[in-house]
Amino acid sequence: MGHIIENLRQFWQFTGFANFEWGYLIMIAIGCLFIFLAIKYEWEPMLLVPIGFGILIGNIPLFAGLNVGVYEEGSVLNILYQGVQRGFYPPLIFLGIGAMTDFSSLIANPKLLLIGAAAQFGIFGAYAISLALGFDAAQAGAIGIIGGADGPTAIFLSSRLAPTLMGAIAVSAYSYMALVPVIQPPIMRLLTTKKERLIRMKPPRPVSPTEKKLFPIIGFLLTAFIVPSGIPLLGMLFFGNLLKESGVTKRLANTASGPLVDIVTILIGVTVGASTQASQFLRWESVKIFIIGALSFVIATFAGVLFVKFFNLFLKEGNKINPLIGNSGVSAVPDAARVSNNVGLEYDPKNYLLMHAMGPNVAGVIGSAVAAGMLLGFLG
Amino acid sequence: MKHLKLFLAAVCLALCFTAGAQSQDAMRLNEYLVVNTDDFQDDFGQQNAWIELFNSSYGTVDIAGCFLSDDPANLKKYAIPGGDIQTKIKPRQHVLFWADNQPYRGTFHVSFDLSDADEIIFTKGDGKTIIDRIKVRHDLPENVSFGRAMDGIGSVDGAGEGWAVMERTSPSTNNTLVDKAAKPDRMKALDPYGWILALTAMSVVFLALILLYFIFKAIGNANIRAGKKRAAAVAGTDVKESQYGEIPGEVYAAIATAMHLYLQDDEGHDEESFVVTLHHTDRTYSPWSSKIYTLRETPVVNKRR
Repeated sequence: MGHIIENLRQFWQFTGFANFEWGYLIMIAIGCLFIFLAIKYEWEPMLLVPIGFGILIGNIPLFAGLNVGVYEEGSVLNILYQGVQRGFYPPLIFLGIGAMTDFSSLIANPKLLLIGAAAQFGIFGAYAISLALGFDAAQAGAIGIIGGADGPTAIFLSSRLAPTLMGAIAVSAYSYMALVPVIQPPIMRLLTTKKERLIRMKPPRPVSPTEKKLFPIIGFLLTAFIVPSGIPLLGMLFFGNLLKESGVTKRLANTASGPLVDIVTILIGVTVGASTQASQFLRWESVKIFIIGALSFVIATFAGVLFVKFFNLFLKEGNKINPLIGNSGVSAVPDAARVSNNVGLEYDPKNYLLMHAMGPNVAGVIGSAVAAGMLLGFLG
Repeated sequence: MKHLKLFLAAVCLALCFTAGAQSQDAMRLNEYLVVNTDDFQDDFGQQNAWIELFNSSYGTVDIAGCFLSDDPANLKKYAIPGGDIQTKIKPRQHVLFWADNQPYRGTFHVSFDLSDADEIIFTKGDGKTIIDRIKVRHDLPENVSFGRAMDGIGSVDGAGEGWAVMERTSPSTNNTLVDKAAKPDRMKALDPYGWILALTAMSVVFLALILLYFIFKAIGNANIRAGKKRAAAVAGTDVKESQYGEIPGEVYAAIATAMHLYLQDDEGHDEESFVVTLHHTDRTYSPWSSKIYTLRETPVVNKRR
């Protein structure tokens, strides 16, 4: 009888109840909130559901030595987490993004590329704020990339520059990407006049298949020669796009943009979520990262919209750009473009800005990858 | 055309910078040891004076054909032989030459020693252009080397600016230990508010995307011109430029919607855009595939009278 009681006592020590701390409960609540937001409001459900459930997985109270935790070397979760730690999931996601992205609107009106560049001010604004708040330069670079509004890039860069902050950075980046429809519209309204919001842009010209095939090749060569440290992201992005546009690799493009990206999204979401163990995540630093993350999105939106207004000073009447697409320079594809379209429709129900906004939106993907390469070059 | 010229000029400029960075000019005398009694040994197990060179560029540099000398009157004293793959120095890497006056021992054994040398001179392949030179100090203790405090940084005119007595010898490796954290720390010290990095990185982001803009503007214009020519050839008349801009977006939307609806099953076309291929579908008759044999007859109610 004593033996059984002893075994039961040991069993109790193994349970989550015996190892419970309030931090775990807070994280479980955050995970449930993510799942709720994804299911109820459909905010980035493809990301928030895996991340939310990953948070639940990572925050079951354990004692070290069970060899199941994400940080315990050799555990299943740890092996899956290697894709995040070593940074090979993000380029695979970029492959899928490339294979599902249509750069036509950008090729038709290449000046929209510059909006994608301007919005990257969000990254460097956040970098400066992070330095001011006491983070070291490498950590500041990793936090700054949240302003690019690109989850895979944020994970890729933080795994290189500040692995200990990766969980907070990734969750912050994905959370604010989901909140783009909430964060951006008030800034867009604040910075534009009614007259500007009513600007109707010229319809994009038709883009030939040859131009679409050339774009990934030239785009890659040019950006990779300038920023070689961005090759993993830029290479896979443009390679994926070439698979799509070449017209002869339909199966590969379908795999890259379908099953492959889905598999990697599941793995990256769950493991990033699981990496937010309360002991690692619930720190004052994480709060600061969340504040900086919000500010970075605000700065990026400001920069994008103001840049369009500035750019319009040099454009002839009839060629002017509606500043409501300035917010799309962040690379939250296609949410930011959708926000441009929706805000535009509020003021002119026949002014569909979606296709125009997709230009800076996909330019933002390229711009944030280049910016990540720069940060890696300077700080890595 | 103007944009194209600008772009070509930018590319040429970039290539000039690249070519310059990866030429022999980027090589630096980096460290030397005059009296070696208890330091690094060569392949023959001997301790001799040595000279370290450093490739300060971010490209591989081939130093075959360059010269090392200790005599300003004879810059070609030791010609670095060609045909040895080890003379291709990787970016930011070092190479060590033994100053043992025994050149027959291999590529990296020069034809002079440093015991009486006043100077070490590294000269370009033309035998005239001095890339780097440094005075030899004979006042140093045994096994103490003289080198650049930071690899590749300092004067190249023999003045010795940036050179210092090394705390320890570091043949074929960095003169200063570079640890992982040093780079960000240096960056923060240099740029505490982040403005320099922000401006530099934003300039690069803009540069990359502006170049892309010019290229695709030029390609787009060429494409439009070609399209107009094709259209004119078909119609037999010249097509005005404005006609391209006058097609309203709704027309494209209607065409796209119609095609989408038609091709909804994703099997109807085999090329991405503008090409619709209609495949003839053969339905060979067979009783096995005939639906009529698989259908049940409609029940008929027989009313008995």
